[in-house]
Amino acid sequence: MSYRVNPEFKHELAQFGISKEWNECFHCGNCSAICPLTEQGFLFPRNGIRAMQMGLKEKLATHVDPWLCYYCGECSETCPREANPGELMMTLRRYLTSVYDWTGLSKKFYTSKWWEFGFIILIALLVIVAFMVFLPLKSGAAAMVNASGGVMINSLVEGISAERFIKIIEYGDWSMAVLVAAFLMSNIAHMFYKVILADKSVRVPFTTYFTEFWRLIYNFATQAKFSKCDDKKYWVGHLLLMTGYSIMFAVIVVLLPLFQTEEIVPWYNWQRLLGYYATIGILFFLVIVTIGRIKKTDIKLKYSHPSDWLFIIMLGLTTITGILVHIFRLNGLVAATYYMYVLHLAVLVPMILVEVPFSKWSHLAYRPFAIYFSKLKKAAVKKEVYQREFTPAIQNI
Amino acid sequence: MQNIPITGVYFHYYTNGYSESVNMLEVENYIKKIPGVIILGNSDEFPPIDKQFFISKIKELKIEQLVIAGYSPGIIKTFFSSAMHEAGLNPKNVLIASFNEYGAIKESDTDLAKTILHFTIAGLSLGDIYTYSEKPVNETTLVIGGGIAGIQASLEIANSKHKVYLLERTGTIGGHMATFDKTFPTLDCAACILTPKMVEVGQHPYIDLLTYSEVLDVKGEPGDFKVKVKKKAKYVDMANCIGCGICSEKCPAKTPSEFDAGTTLRKAIYIPFPQAVPNKYLIDAENCIYLDNGKCGVCKKVCPADAIRFDQVDKEVELNVGNIVVATGFKPFDANRADNFGYGKFPNVLTSLEFERLVNASGPTEGNITLRTKDKKGNPVFTKESKSPESVALIHCIGSRDMTFNRYCSKVCCMYSLKLAHLVKEKLPDAEVLEFYIDMRAYGKGYEEFYERIKEEGVHVIRGRTAKIDQANDKLLLRSEDIENNNLIEKQVDMVVLSVGLEPGNDSVSLSDMLGINTDNDGWFIEVSSNINPTNTMESGITLAGVCQGPKDIPDTVAHASAAAAKVIQNIVQQKSKKTISKIALSEIEETINNVSHHNSK
Repeated sequence: MSYRVNPEFKHELAQFGISKEWNECFHCGNCSAICPLTEQGFLFPRNGIRAMQMGLKEKLATHVDPWLCYYCGECSETCPREANPGELMMTLRRYLTSVYDWTGLSKKFYTSKWWEFGFIILIALLVIVAFMVFLPLKSGAAAMVNASGGVMINSLVEGISAERFIKIIEYGDWSMAVLVAAFLMSNIAHMFYKVILADKSVRVPFTTYFTEFWRLIYNFATQAKFSKCDDKKYWVGHLLLMTGYSIMFAVIVVLLPLFQTEEIVPWYNWQRLLGYYATIGILFFLVIVTIGRIKKTDIKLKYSHPSDWLFIIMLGLTTITGILVHIFRLNGLVAATYYMYVLHLAVLVPMILVEVPFSKWSHLAYRPFAIYFSKLKKAAVKKEVYQREFTPAIQNI
Repeated sequence: MQNIPITGVYFHYYTNGYSESVNMLEVENYIKKIPGVIILGNSDEFPPIDKQFFISKIKELKIEQLVIAGYSPGIIKTFFSSAMHEAGLNPKNVLIASFNEYGAIKESDTDLAKTILHFTIAGLSLGDIYTYSEKPVNETTLVIGGGIAGIQASLEIANSKHKVYLLERTGTIGGHMATFDKTFPTLDCAACILTPKMVEVGQHPYIDLLTYSEVLDVKGEPGDFKVKVKKKAKYVDMANCIGCGICSEKCPAKTPSEFDAGTTLRKAIYIPFPQAVPNKYLIDAENCIYLDNGKCGVCKKVCPADAIRFDQVDKEVELNVGNIVVATGFKPFDANRADNFGYGKFPNVLTSLEFERLVNASGPTEGNITLRTKDKKGNPVFTKESKSPESVALIHCIGSRDMTFNRYCSKVCCMYSLKLAHLVKEKLPDAEVLEFYIDMRAYGKGYEEFYERIKEEGVHVIRGRTAKIDQANDKLLLRSEDIENNNLIEKQVDMVVLSVGLEPGNDSVSLSDMLGINTDNDGWFIEVSSNINPTNTMESGITLAGVCQGPKDIPDTVAHASAAAAKVIQNIVQQKSKKTISKIALSEIEETINNVSHHNSK
């Protein structure tokens, strides 16, 4: 297959990154060899640098390599040219997100921080306005305290019963989840087309799609690939974040009526234990990463793109407002609980709507799928080798 | 000074890779006072991008000539020439005042920079003030460093019947070349071509050998230097010692041999290697038990010639010389610094210098390539009896072409690695030899052919820098990318040879201070011009020979040393030596300019 060379491509790619030292690369191969995650067939980052320098856009779109990298930074630390290959992988992930995204929003969000900020603020305002207009605080709400002194959170809205309120929020969650899933799944279909179907060099055996499917779930749940990086600290932090985030997402989308109850259940009940676990996990991750990004001593966190900061800020605000809702409820502060609840949703909803399908959060889907696709590609290559080596070649007569 | 046209001066601030810079502001303030001179700006304020801006300035200020001053400002001359042309003036009126070309590099050279700029503005050539010292040139020459460069330079000068002091820090001349097994690409035995030259030096009537000596101080001026030299005590009477070696045999103190790159042990009283020149024993005071606590003295008891002198002390001598040749060579890169390769941790990761001794017939195993094992005490040693490696990997560019260590290419490693690969194949034809390189630099006569020959011998030459080496069972596991075949190589080998690069010697900085010559960012001494005058320094009377000016292989080193000798002989025969411009006072220069311009205007 032939690819078009485009020397201008690096300027296009540069919009997605902070560090732009990749052209220093003289292709010694150190990065691909020092990386504990590379394997035969998936030799990154050098291959990506090559494709980037040559401007092989079509070839880059078939690469799953950037998603197989978890950015431990060893390649950048040992690079003899200080070309920062790790940061290129990060930049390529942002770029590829915009390639998969058919709406074009992803590119806008990554290349201009005002688009992303603007969208988030817009959605946040919509949430606040919707509450103020349709679900305002009840005038006599001060009485909405249960026997144990906690705020009855579902009964704070004027003219709406607790059962109806929880239904409204649940329907809201569902529509949000459906919207996000629709964008993500269509983008993944697009990714599948780019990575597997458009790459004419591989033909994936049909049964492999099923035999390798477990890897998708397995890698999503355990981040097993991440654990192969030499520094285990980030793997633990990431696992805590991923499980905490997934638990909270599942709880608010699927189990909201059981989670957001009028009575405050004792601390040892599953709802509260799960909530505490998620909060601690996310906070732990946030603290490590925020300190790292400010101190800039670890090469992994040295270069912070606006989308990286936005990720931390939005997740941090969601977590803090969530904790405050919980504290206000426990202490029977009715109005404070209501306003903090509105604020919590005004941060959470735009974070999920903007970041999950179009920005940094989208890697939660692309990464496991990329690992799945990489195994498909690998199986295809294996079969090819098998055919080449074990089926008798037609003799030239 | 009336004849200076209206001159615009532009400062090019880029320092051309030097770590220091002259004080540009001071130069600017000095030059401003000259009537007719206008400062156009500098590259920080007005980078040479907006041509229209400069054209309008040239027109507005009615500039007649333009001077670009700074470090190698020639690279931006085209920009200003075309600006002058577009302003309707003769583009030839753009002049260059290159500071570094005349040795103005450090902040202390600011006065020299003023001189250079002043001269250029006055339209004069710097040659006009090159004044010659009236004193006769002392015919004696000091050569610092007794490696192949120093030996070659000394012989060239001495063969033209001029006296040479050859000063060497260690106990023998020969330098690094004496430790090599073979030379590339001809595969000559290095010792066989070097030792006759060493002997020639030792016996030459015009060469005075000062081994085990160091330069302490240099004073004087070109043609008449006074050099203070410390002759370290050898504790052996050179006249009496017959070189029988009984003392060394009986000496109880052992230490790693410098000559064998630490692969063998030597005694505290030793001869660096059997063909050393001078072929006399000496005591290394650091390891001698008697000199430490007075409790041994075995050598004194057994010496049949009564040559041991424990009461010797370091001596200082002053040499009067007319020229100095600096031939201090290099030190190999310390492989401990590149910790991904496990040097010092895994016994069978060797540096190229250790391997060079291992394959050498006078080395630790009499030329058998064997694995390093542990002796009874657990110290890693080479023995003839241990197993030969079945696979050897050579890794290029250790410490070279790496921003963490040295950015430059050490020039010799590709070729010597190919040579080492050949030596493995020669001695162990069944061994698998892998060579990992970034770019193969087989430049030069017969080198590419040598590379092709090595490939035909069955050496796997792989493009890809090995990233790390780990221990796996008894073997070494290396991980590298095979770039040409898009493969990942994870291979177990028995032995790894690290092709370490070259670095300036530890004391090259103190020597450059003593001599008043400059070093570049990497620490190599700076020549006048790498193209047309690679041997002279800015300081007249001081020339460079060999690797101390920058990495070179043996043929280049020898050629460079001969060229340096030619410069010295030229100075001696002409009996004239130029004054160093930097040593002429600014007032004297101003007077010269006035005189010359006055003369011109008549």
